Amino acid sequence: MHLPLTALRNGETGVITATDCTSESKQMCGHKKRKRWIKNAMTERCHRRLNDLGLTPGTKVTVIKSAPFNGPLEVSVRGSLLAIGRGMAGRILVDVTR
Amino acid sequence: MSNNHFRIALAGNANVGKSVIFNQLTGLHQHIGNWPGKTVEKAEGTLHFKGYTIDFIDLPGIYSLSTFSMEELVSREYIATEKPDLVINVVDASILERNLFFTLQLLELETPLLIALNQIDMAKKKGITIDIKKAEEILGVPVVPTVAISGKGVYQMLETAIEVIEKKQKIEPLKPRYGREIEERIEDLTILLNKIQLKYPTRWVAIKLLEEDSEVEKEVLALSSEIVAAAERMRGELEQLHGHSCPTVVTSERYHVANMISEEIQTIAKPLKTPLSEKLHTVTTHKMFGYPIMLITVLAVFVGIFSFGDFTSALLSDNFFGVKPVFDSVLGTGIVGELVWGGVMEGIIGGVTVALPYILPFYFILYIFEDSGYLSRIAFLMDNLMHKMGLHGKAFIPVMLSFGCNVPGCLGCRIMETTRERLLTAFVVTLVPCAATSVIILGLVGAYVSIGWALALYIINLIIIFVLGRIAFKALPGEPTELIMEMSAYRMPHIKTVAKQTWFRLREFIVMAFPLIITGSLIIKVAEVANLLDPIANIMSPITVTWLGLPTVTGIALIFGILRKELTLIMLATLFGTANFAQVMTPAQMIVFTLVVMLYIPCVATIGALIKEFGGKKALLITVLEILLALLVGGIAYRLLTIM
Repeated sequence: MHLPLTALRNGETGVITATDCTSESKQMCGHKKRKRWIKNAMTERCHRRLNDLGLTPGTKVTVIKSAPFNGPLEVSVRGSLLAIGRGMAGRILVDVTR
Repeated sequence: MSNNHFRIALAGNANVGKSVIFNQLTGLHQHIGNWPGKTVEKAEGTLHFKGYTIDFIDLPGIYSLSTFSMEELVSREYIATEKPDLVINVVDASILERNLFFTLQLLELETPLLIALNQIDMAKKKGITIDIKKAEEILGVPVVPTVAISGKGVYQMLETAIEVIEKKQKIEPLKPRYGREIEERIEDLTILLNKIQLKYPTRWVAIKLLEEDSEVEKEVLALSSEIVAAAERMRGELEQLHGHSCPTVVTSERYHVANMISEEIQTIAKPLKTPLSEKLHTVTTHKMFGYPIMLITVLAVFVGIFSFGDFTSALLSDNFFGVKPVFDSVLGTGIVGELVWGGVMEGIIGGVTVALPYILPFYFILYIFEDSGYLSRIAFLMDNLMHKMGLHGKAFIPVMLSFGCNVPGCLGCRIMETTRERLLTAFVVTLVPCAATSVIILGLVGAYVSIGWALALYIINLIIIFVLGRIAFKALPGEPTELIMEMSAYRMPHIKTVAKQTWFRLREFIVMAFPLIITGSLIIKVAEVANLLDPIANIMSPITVTWLGLPTVTGIALIFGILRKELTLIMLATLFGTANFAQVMTPAQMIVFTLVVMLYIPCVATIGALIKEFGGKKALLITVLEILLALLVGGIAYRLLTIM
C-alpha cells in the first residue's frame, strides 16, 4: 500500500518509494488533490536534504510518534532519530504492508 | 609548510563531538571568527606536540559535501583547494551508517584521512560493538576509538595522525564503488575530464556532475560545455533506468555502500537496560509530559537569567555610579566632566549592565541546551505553533528570549539554518516586548489607565507580530525551509567547550555593540548640553503632537528610549516634573505613547546585535520599518481612541 509518511501509525514501518514529485509520486499528482500536490512539490533543496539525511528510496523508516497538535513527525531511520515537519513528511511516499 | 608544521582539519556530522575534540587539542590557543565573507563560523587553533606545530581547523558540522548550504560549500572548498595535510573525520560510533555516508564523500575527495571513532561509550550503551580492525581494512585508513568528553583516545589519535602525515603508516583509502550503470558513466566522464585541468580529483568531479552539483557544473562549463552536455545526457539515461532523479540515485547508492560497510563492521545487541538518554528523550517529547517539562524548564531559565541579571545589573551600576564623585573631582562638574561622564561613562555602564548580567548567562544556557540536545526537542514540540507565523520550531528559542531582552533574541537567531529564516526570526524578535517595554506598559498604562488596557496592549502586540510575521514570510524572497533535523541522543554537555563558545560570543558582542552604545549616548548628551533637545522636540512636534496627539516633550523621551527603552518613562517623569502621569496625560495619550514605545525602534544594543548578525543595511531596514510601523499604529490608535 502506498501512503504518505504522515498516514503511518505510531510504530509502523514503511519503505520509501519516492521523496520527490517525479516518477511514482506523479501518479499521485493525478489524484483529486492535484493542485495541492503540485503546489506542495518539494523544493529541490529540501529533497536533497532528506536524501543526505538518509531518506532515500528503498530505505526503511519507522514512525515513532508525532508531536501533539499536528506537529512534526519523529522517525527512526538508519539508526538515528529525525524530526520532520508535517508538510514535508506528507510528501515522502512509503510502501507499507498492513 | 616546513616539515614539522602541519595543518589538520576536523570534519564530520553535527553533534558528533567534533568541537569537544577541537577543544581538547587546542585548549586556549584558538581563534574563532567567520569565514571570509560568510556567516559561517571558523574555528582555528594551534597545538605544539612532540616538537611539531599543528594548526587545527574545526570545519562546520555537516551531513554532506554538496553545495546546498554555506557550511557544506565552505568545508568542501577548504578540503579541496587548501589541501590540509590530513583530515580527521570525527564519526559518531552510535550512528555509524549516517556518519559513514559522510566518510565516503571525504574518501571521494581523495584527501588523506583518519577516522576518530567517537562516543564509543555511548555506542556501547546502545549495545553496539565495532570491529576496529575490520573497519581499517575496509576503509583503508586508520581508525582510532575516542571518547572526546573525557579525552580518551585523543592522544593516540594525534600520534596516529602524525604517523600518517609523516608517511610512516601507509594508507590505501577505499574508493567507494557504485552500481555498474553509474560506474560506467563515471568512467566515461573521467576520460573526458582528463583532457581539462581541474583543481579537484577527476573521479570526484565526474560523480558531482552526475549529482547535478551546480558549483562543479559551473567550473566545468567554463572549460568545456561538451562535458556538461554529456553529463546531462547521462543523468537522463540514469533517470530512465532507475525511475528516480539522478542525484537521488547517486545518494541512494552511496548510502547503500555505507550500509554494507556498517553491517560488516558493527554488531548490535539489544542493551540490557534502556539508556538514560533514551528515557529522557521519551519523557521530554511525550505528548503529556513534554510541554509541562518544557514550560518549567523555559520559565526556570527565564526567571533564572532575569533575576540574576536584575541583581548583577543593579550591583554593577551601583558600583559604577559609586565612582562618579571620583570622576567629578578629576574632571570637574563642568561641560567636559558632564560629557565624559554622561556620554562615555554612562554609555559604558549601560553596555556592561546589559552584556554581563543578561547576555553572558543567556549564551551559556543556550549552548548548554544546544550541546545537551534539549534544543532540538523544544524545536520538535514548538514547530507547529511557530509555523503559524511562517517560522519553524527552532525559532521559538530566540522569540521566547526576546520577552526578556531583544539582544539575546537577535543573537539567538544564529540557530536558524538559512539567512532568510534568520532575518525573518530577527524581525519578529525585535517586535516582541522586552522586559523594559513591559515596565512601561505596566508602569504607565497598567498603573494609570487600567490593567485591562495593559493586557490589551500585549494582545495587540502579539497580533501585530503574527500578522507581520506572516506578511514578511510571504514577502521575503527564497524558499521556506521546513523542519528537518536530527534529534541526536542526549549527552552531558562539555562545560569547557560551552564556556569557551560563550566567551567568544560575548566578546564579539562587546566589540560590536559598545562603540554604538557609547556613540549614541554621547550624541544625546551633547544635544542635551547644547540645549538642542527642546528644539528637536519642536521639530518632531508635527509627528508627536499632530499625528500622534501627544504632548511635545514626549519627543525627547522617545529619543532617550533609543538608548534603553525604560528611559522613556524616566525621562517623561523628569520632563513633566512629576511621576503622577494622570495629571499630565490623558489615558488615550498614555496608550498611544506606550504603543509607540513598544514598536518604534529596537534599542541601540539591539540595533548593534542586528548589525553584527545581518550587516548595517538590513539592520537599518528593520529599524526604519519599525519606526514607520509604530507611527502608523500609533496614529490609527489615536484616531480610534478619540472617536471612542
